[in-house]
This record gives sequence, structure tokens and C-alpha cells, in this order.
Amino acid sequence: MKKYLSLVLAVALAVSVLAGCSAPAATPATSSEAATDSEAQSSSAEASSAAPASGKTLNLYTWEGMFPEDVLSSFTKDTGIAINYSNFDADETMLAKLESTKGGDYDLVIADDYIIKTAIEEGLAQKLDKSKLENFANINPIYQGQFYDSSNDYTVPYGAGVQTIVYDPKIVKKEIKGYADLWDASLKGSIGIIGNYRVIDGMALKILGKSYNTTNVDEINTAGEKLKKLAPNIRLIKDDNLQDDLLSGEVGAAIMYTSQATLAMMKNPELKAVFPKEGIGFGIMANFIPSKAPNADAAYTFIDYILQPEVSAKCYEYLGYYCTNKAAEALINADYKSYLTLPADFDMKKMEMIQPITAEAEEAHSKVWTAFKAAAGQE
Amino acid sequence: MKLDDTPVPLPWQRREKRFSHNGKFILTVLPLYIFTLAFVAGPLVYMFILSFLQRAEVWGVIGKFTLKNYTDILDPVYLKTFWESIKLAVLTTALTILIGYPFGYFMAKLSAKWKSRMMLFLMIPFWTSSLIRLYGWIIIFRANGPLDKALMFLHITDAPLKLLYTYAAVVVGMVYALVPFMIFSVYSSAEKLDWSLIEAARDLGANPMQAFLTVSLKLTLPGLLSGVVLTFIPSMGLFFIADILGGNKVVLVGNVIQEQLMKAHNWPFAAALAVVLTILTSVMIYLYRRLAKVKDLEGLV
Repeated sequence: MKKYLSLVLAVALAVSVLAGCSAPAATPATSSEAATDSEAQSSSAEASSAAPASGKTLNLYTWEGMFPEDVLSSFTKDTGIAINYSNFDADETMLAKLESTKGGDYDLVIADDYIIKTAIEEGLAQKLDKSKLENFANINPIYQGQFYDSSNDYTVPYGAGVQTIVYDPKIVKKEIKGYADLWDASLKGSIGIIGNYRVIDGMALKILGKSYNTTNVDEINTAGEKLKKLAPNIRLIKDDNLQDDLLSGEVGAAIMYTSQATLAMMKNPELKAVFPKEGIGFGIMANFIPSKAPNADAAYTFIDYILQPEVSAKCYEYLGYYCTNKAAEALINADYKSYLTLPADFDMKKMEMIQPITAEAEEAHSKVWTAFKAAAGQE
Repeated sequence: MKLDDTPVPLPWQRREKRFSHNGKFILTVLPLYIFTLAFVAGPLVYMFILSFLQRAEVWGVIGKFTLKNYTDILDPVYLKTFWESIKLAVLTTALTILIGYPFGYFMAKLSAKWKSRMMLFLMIPFWTSSLIRLYGWIIIFRANGPLDKALMFLHITDAPLKLLYTYAAVVVGMVYALVPFMIFSVYSSAEKLDWSLIEAARDLGANPMQAFLTVSLKLTLPGLLSGVVLTFIPSMGLFFIADILGGNKVVLVGNVIQEQLMKAHNWPFAAALAVVLTILTSVMIYLYRRLAKVKDLEGLV
């Protein structure tokens, strides 16, 4: 009896292992049309909720939760194009998949700037036909012509991330105007920061009047020395949900990602968000159409749909990233506006994109960062 | 870890003689060899080779031989993380001995009914993921959390303490995560202890301390040493406790490896760090065995 039981259990275990293996393989890796069609019906809620009249499908590939549900469903209703929403966790996964399908399978991808640069260089993106985008002029020119697509041939930005300082005036008595104020001795043990060394080392670089993207190792090391003096003030280094520690009073001030700043400000409107006077670094998420998109026209329709000011405003309120649509700015709810758009008097020259740098500079950064973290732990 | 020490021959040991002649024995152990090769030796070899390659400019690896990854480790910044790891591991191990040894020792003296109950109490936390249990510690330690409130209620402190994201919080988390392993291995050793030997020592004039040091301690030494191995080795690598409870400020080798892999995209350097860490821990196990002159580390199998 026992023998049979153990046999059954062993078979069950083996089957469950196989099932675990086959599940991810069923997702979009297969390149045949039939597979994508059946997937659109089975895995996409949007597709099944509103049956497309035209039978067209948009294969959208991006992170999870990039659009509010009602925007997606009204797109399908208005245009008759069903959406097959597939998502990835990391930019690198997206690139690997596009490489394996040679730029096919997906009609539209939204990803981060640096990876788009690589995708364009590898010929995985196609040039945009701007005559198909009536609302192209709505884009805020600040976010155009950047390093990854200097003549705007391939991309349409969808949201920007600007790492900002957010602080609680109840805990921090000193008024914070820029990065340099964080070095103040009164902030001992009360700052939380994200674990992104390009951003944090970059703060020190900015105070010293250097570029975020310097490849000069001496400059990076000098910034490292400056950064070490900040160590006594650091309470916490964490990437996920840093806003929770600011809201609970564990830290008084924090340098965080845009989406976290938005969440924190929404929960506690008394917090203050600061545009550091030394200048800020930012990153952009953008749309591009893969070189062999099976249904590129659907992608154009979608980009143009999202670029409409009313739709765009809804998206940014939901997304919590900086609005890259100039025409939509006026329509964003006044409650959110102050942290979803740049202040009117903001000096564009002080904005700098955080770009990929040489391996040598990258290693210098990572060494400076390790030393800084260890110094923070000694306090 | 084996808790029951009666030497029951395992099925394949029993059948070995019968099968060895007709080759069926090889067939039965083949899956084991394939598994070991694929999932233990394979990744190790991969890691070892990777550690001698160059990183590509953006990401990825170039197939060119270099020793740079190893010379980079000699930088004081990274050497210090090894020192930090060893320091924390020694401290953690010392504290787990302090708590775990008496616990396991006296647990062996309980009645059979209470022994199994104790065992159950020790096992229950393992039903939950260790990560989730660590989040529990965050709730206890955080500003205005239960510990703060209790201390303030008792008028021991009058303002919230900053307990979370400190070195002490990391040590508590490490000891909490590893102490059951010490308890189990000391217990399995102490359980086999012939208590009449201690009585004999006492009859022959030894005071309780002498009897403990000369008889009990010597006889439970294998258990203690395997407990040391079981706590010391993992504590060299448990980076996520330092991450979560230490606010990322306690930088261990594990943290550097994780960061080089996930953020810096410098895979070869991460591999080199991992190789050095593996060698370091292997040397330490070897030293333990030499020093303790114990061939069979109890509970390790």
C-alpha cells in the first residue's frame, strides 16, 4: 500500500515540476500567428471583454499596470482593435525576447530609455511615420531629442521619472532647497535613499558641478569622498516602497523615484517635494514599434489615441510619473498637478538624462557606492 | 539533519550487493549522478569559468580571459566586505551557541512527550517563509511599533528608539533565523548522551561544572561543531537579512554579489566574488574538521 502511495506522490511531484516548466513557455515566445491569436482570447481580459469588430489585435508589450483599465477598454470600443497586453519585469527581458523574435510578434513596446537605445542600435525598432500620428505635436519638447533617439525618429515618450527629495516638515526643521542641504548635521540618521548608485553618486557630482554622466574616474572618486560625509545622515537604503518609511516617520527626508513620491504625497499632502537647485537627473519611458511588428497600424492608432490630451491626463494621474504630454498638463487634476508636471519656472538646462556610461566609470561608481554604504553602516 | 540516530541502512545500501553484479545498481544511482552533475557541478563550473571572463561595455560578457575580476577583489573596499561578513558570522555563531547549546542540551533531558512538543514548537516557524518572518521583525522594531510602545509604557524610554535599520537588528535577525539549526544538532547529540556517565563522574568526586566540562561537553562536541558549521556557513551568505533589517547599510559579500549581478550587470565580478566566498567557506569547514578531529559531523548528512 505504502509503495503505491509513494509511487503516486512521486508521479504527482514529477508532473507538477513539468507543469511549472511549461507555463512560462506558453507565453508569447511562440511566433506563429495562431498562437498569438489564441493567446489574445485566453489571457487578455481586455480582448475578451469587448469583442473587436474588425478582428484586429494590438500586441502591447510593457510593464504591468501602465494604463488604467477604462482607457484600454474604451480604446477597444472606439477603434475596434483588441489589446493583447503582455508584460515583462525588467527591460533586459524585453530586449532578449525582441532579439529572439527578431523584432516581430509585438506591435508596440514601452520601455526605459537606455534599453531603447540598444534596441534601435540593433535594428529592432522601426522608424515612425509621423503622418500617422496627428497628435505628435502634443509631446513636451523637453522630453524629446534625447540621447536614445536624438532626432525623434523612433520613439514617443510616455512618462518621465525624476528622482526628487521629499521631506516631512514636521520632522525636518531645516528648509531643504537642494541636495547640499541633505549634508546638514541636523539631519543625522534621518534620511532614506533609493539604492540606485547613479542617482545617489550623481547627487554629489551635481553639488560639485559635474555631470551625472561623467566618465572621468577622478571626478567620480571625488564625488565619493563628498558622499562619505553624507553617511552619518543615512538611515536607510531601499528600493521598494521607500515611501512607507517616510509616511511612518522612520525617516524625515527621502530621495525617491517619482512613483514613490507620488504615492507619498497622495497619502500625506503635508509632505514637501523639492526640485533640487543643483539640477535633476531623469529617465524617460517611451513607445517604439518593433521592426517587424505584425500589426504596426494598430500601434500607430494606439499611440495617437493615448496622445490625446484628455486620455493622456487620465493615464498620468493613474501612472504617477511625470507628464510628457504638454497639451495634457492643463487637464491634470489640480491635486496631482504639482508633482506630475515640472514647475513653470524650471530651468531646462539643469535637467540631465542619466545615460549609459563606460564600463570603467560604471565600476568606479559601484566601488564608491559600496564604500559609501559601508560607511553608513559604521555610524 | 537526522534526528533519529539509529543506523537504519538506506534502501540502496541494502540492495547494493545484489545489484552490483548485474549492473542494475548503476541504473539506480544514475539519476543521482545526473542530478548532481546538472544542478551542483554544472553551476559551479559555469561560475568558475565566468569569473575569468570580461564584462561587455553595456552588459553581457565577452569570452576573453582576464584576471581583472580577482585583482579587483583586492581593493580595500571589497576586502572589507569579506571582513564584515566573517565578523558578523562569528558574532552570530557565538550568540547561537549561547542560546542554542543550553536549549538543545536541556531539551534532551525532557520527557519523551515534551521532547516531541518542543520539536513541534521549533518546527512551526518553518512553515512560513523566512522572508515573511523577517517582515514580522520589521513590524516589531519599527518606530512606534510594539517594542517601542512597550518600552515607553514601562517608562524605560520616553521617545521612540531607532531600532530598525541598525547593526543590532541585523544580528537579532541572523540569530533568530539560525538558532534552530544549533538547537537541533546539539539536541541530537545530547539525546544519545548516557547520563549515567555524568553520575559516575559525580560519584568519583567531580563537581557539576567539572562533570559537564569533562563528560557532557566532550560527548556533545560533535553536535556543537556541526551546529557551528550549520550556522556559520549560512551566515556568511544570508544577505537579505542585512538588506531588510539593516537598511542595506551592513554590506556583506552576499550583498555585493547581488548588487553586481542585478544592478551593476557585472556578472564576471560577481562570479569571482562568489568563487572566493566558496573557497573561503570550504577552507573553514576543513579547518573545523581538522581542529575538532571529528570526521563525522553530526546532523550534516
